[in-house]
Amino acid sequence: MKKINLLVAVSALSTMAFLYLPLMAVAFFSVNDSKYGLEWKGFTLDWYVKLFQNDLILQAASNTLVLALVSTFVSTILGTILAIGMDRFPWPGKMNTALDLVMHLPVIIPDIIFAAAMVVAFGFLRTLTSVFDPGLLNMIIAHITFQTAFVALVVRSRLAGIGKEIEEAARDLYAGTIYMLMKVTLPLLAPGIIAGAMLAFTLSLDDFVISFFTAGPDSITLPLYIYAAVRRVVTPQIHALSTLVLMVTVILVICMERITRKVNKKQKRL
Amino acid sequence: MKKSALMVLALLLVLILFSGPAFCGNGELKIFTWSEYMDEENMPKDFEKATGIKVKLDMYESNEEMMAKLQAGGLGQYDIIIPTDFIITSLINLKLIVPLDHSKIPNIKNLGTKFSNASFDPGNKYSVGWQWGTVGLMYNKAKLKDSDVASWDIIFDPKKKPGSFYLIDSVREMMGITLVYLGYDFNSTNPKELKAASDLLIDTKKRKECLGFKGGVGGKNDVISGVADAAVVYNGDSIQTVSKEPDKFGFIVPKEGSEIWIDSMCIPAKAPNLEAAHKWINWVLEPEVGAALSNYNQYATPNDAAIPFLNKEDLKNPGIWPTPEITKTLHFVKDLGKSNKVVDQAWTRVKSH
Amino acid sequence: MNKLIIWYGELITGNKLLKRGVFFLTPGMLWLVLFLVLPGFILVLVSFAGRGTYGNLIWEFSLENYTRLIGYGIFGWTLDYVYILLRSVWVAFVTTGLSVVLSYPLCFYIARKPPRTRYLWLTIVIIPFWTNMVIRAYAWFLILAPELPFARLAAFLNLVPAGMPLYPSAMAVYLGMISMFLPFVALPLFSSIERMDWTLVEAAQDLYASNFRIFMHAILPQTLPGLSVGIILTMVPAMGMFVIPDLLGGAKYMLVGNLIQQQFGASRDYAFGAAISIGLMILTLFSLYLYKRKNRGIDLI
Repeated sequence: MKKINLLVAVSALSTMAFLYLPLMAVAFFSVNDSKYGLEWKGFTLDWYVKLFQNDLILQAASNTLVLALVSTFVSTILGTILAIGMDRFPWPGKMNTALDLVMHLPVIIPDIIFAAAMVVAFGFLRTLTSVFDPGLLNMIIAHITFQTAFVALVVRSRLAGIGKEIEEAARDLYAGTIYMLMKVTLPLLAPGIIAGAMLAFTLSLDDFVISFFTAGPDSITLPLYIYAAVRRVVTPQIHALSTLVLMVTVILVICMERITRKVNKKQKRL
Repeated sequence: MKKSALMVLALLLVLILFSGPAFCGNGELKIFTWSEYMDEENMPKDFEKATGIKVKLDMYESNEEMMAKLQAGGLGQYDIIIPTDFIITSLINLKLIVPLDHSKIPNIKNLGTKFSNASFDPGNKYSVGWQWGTVGLMYNKAKLKDSDVASWDIIFDPKKKPGSFYLIDSVREMMGITLVYLGYDFNSTNPKELKAASDLLIDTKKRKECLGFKGGVGGKNDVISGVADAAVVYNGDSIQTVSKEPDKFGFIVPKEGSEIWIDSMCIPAKAPNLEAAHKWINWVLEPEVGAALSNYNQYATPNDAAIPFLNKEDLKNPGIWPTPEITKTLHFVKDLGKSNKVVDQAWTRVKSH
Repeated sequence: MNKLIIWYGELITGNKLLKRGVFFLTPGMLWLVLFLVLPGFILVLVSFAGRGTYGNLIWEFSLENYTRLIGYGIFGWTLDYVYILLRSVWVAFVTTGLSVVLSYPLCFYIARKPPRTRYLWLTIVIIPFWTNMVIRAYAWFLILAPELPFARLAAFLNLVPAGMPLYPSAMAVYLGMISMFLPFVALPLFSSIERMDWTLVEAAQDLYASNFRIFMHAILPQTLPGLSVGIILTMVPAMGMFVIPDLLGGAKYMLVGNLIQQQFGASRDYAFGAAISIGLMILTLFSLYLYKRKNRGIDLI
């Protein structure tokens, strides 16, 4: 048994190393004072300083944020209403299956197919109006589409978890539909909605493929910028940018964990 | 709950207002060009000084990539594009570019005769020359001797020891070079010959030494950073470095021959800022501006009036201004019309095996 | 339909409830139909169109894209595209398999930690999961660079010429893919392992079962729900991946994702790109169907 435990520990730790080694390397070489190659030529923060003087990168950062915030905001609303609509009404079985299938589509088809469909669809819309030229609007629409499905799935599982009883009690006390929704259902749902929104936000930040197919020249996001740059040449500046993105990710994940755990604790007390 | 939702909303509004100028960008000149094709820091500034118009650059690594962007809705998003000769035929046929207003480009008289009467656009109806050049091999002199790279067999013959190398990720260039290496026509559309060429490319890419395909400046940058020992590249891109470090790097057009090309400035249909686009074209044709451009990017200029302002050493560099012997081995890519499809399929075959 | 019913404690007519239900469903469903289902149908339509001489879309019904996909082209009968599809399935399969093998010890290790540090460990696994895939892919450039010990070792063992990086290569693609998808397997698996009943394992040990049998009979059945979710979450995106083969395969080791991207990019053959997408979709749905039939009752989230 001891031997196995040791084996498990060694394997687990080397897997962690495997996940982190490349990311550490990026961080390490982001402070290397050499433009080409990987020889260590001394410590510098120049690459970071230069990032903040680069308008393109600042623009990309702001695009990434606007995209993630707007799409998360819209998709959280759409997804929540959709989840309530699906779970709180007695739909016939067949219709339920159909709705279910549509909602699962973004989860079960590879994102590149969704992206391809978007390219073709926007191509058609573009013949009607130039509003659909590649750009932030297209990206926001595409992101909302897959985020809505994910939010709805998360919120619905939470809805199923709440059960009937509390809402029935509210009705017994003569709560109207809107009153019940605002004062009973939504507050109970809040953890699910927050979890859904956070999932949507991170999915948007994490996305590359869908943005790649829908972006225009003014709506480059950070991942797109890094991809284009890497295909030309890998510079320490890109390492620096990636390291910053990584650091923001770490902070975000830790915040998410904190909030989820707090919400869970609260829930347990209820 | 309500409060936080309101806060998020307010934050959103602020952000959108904040990034507002990015959305509209009034009066800007948007140029879609090959990466590292001009002094990306100073040339836009000089133009702004001269005309008061701000310049925004976006980059591509191959003609096909640029065209795909245009066809996917990019037509109204750029004022200037810089396509290569054979692509201009496609662009005209698809009505993706608009005729130029010559009354706004008085400097057009500066173009050399070869460039004012090019076969792809006689009389400069749609395009005005930007730079011209060739495709060749950049190599690391520590790994490869000059005699090694005299022929393309350094990459195609598995018995040679090329070190690690990149092919160029551009259909017509790479197919053409392979075809002439095999002794066929650079612009062949014969399926048998194309199959032979694609087979050779497949064998080549499968070898350990081949690092794969890289477009535009990618290959050249990897030779500089030491990842690759050689790469098929555009001449000027590599000569920018070669002329600074002639002991470390070299550039050559191997003896079997290669491509010669002319890149031109064109205006996409639906370009938002026609006025600025014409101003840019006219400005680039100024003798001093044209010379500064070529002195920077180390390509040859189609602008005869600029030649007196060029660096004297550059004029003597056969990598930039090929000698008559080299020119004999160079071919223009022809637009193949319907047969483009055959070449495309051959290329897909190369990429998919 | 106009009967009175009691629904969630409310006395209401069927019609009224229906109206309210439709009101709730409409915004979200309308959006999904407009921007997900409809584009899907357009994609199907486009897959039967053709490519014009200069890369424009031509509306002539033809099956050419599909015959080309299954191997009939101007160079005669070649199975290039079928080969790519199969290779993509194979790469996805190997990636998933290796990720599962690596995930079990990782999850056991974390599950055995005391609750307080457990979440810290879990967070450590989650962080790469949320780091953008472009960064995670190109980060391998550095590890595999010629200056670093790994490439030197490989050169020393005569696996590659000296001074060459270890990318682009099939191995680099696998490394990238596994590091990309491992957390997709590990996280759902962990949720199962955390809830596992270890007394079963102890009982099996008391009965002198071999390690293999302990795993197959006491551990695997208990962790199957999490494992299934992990496998689906990995297989599906792995089949359509194009960033990793593009960066780490040097546009040399092509998967179906690259093929689709190439059609919508450099080749400008939307119709053929659409046909490949449909092919990939059918393949994905078919394998999901097979998988679901074998393992009933799997929740995706």
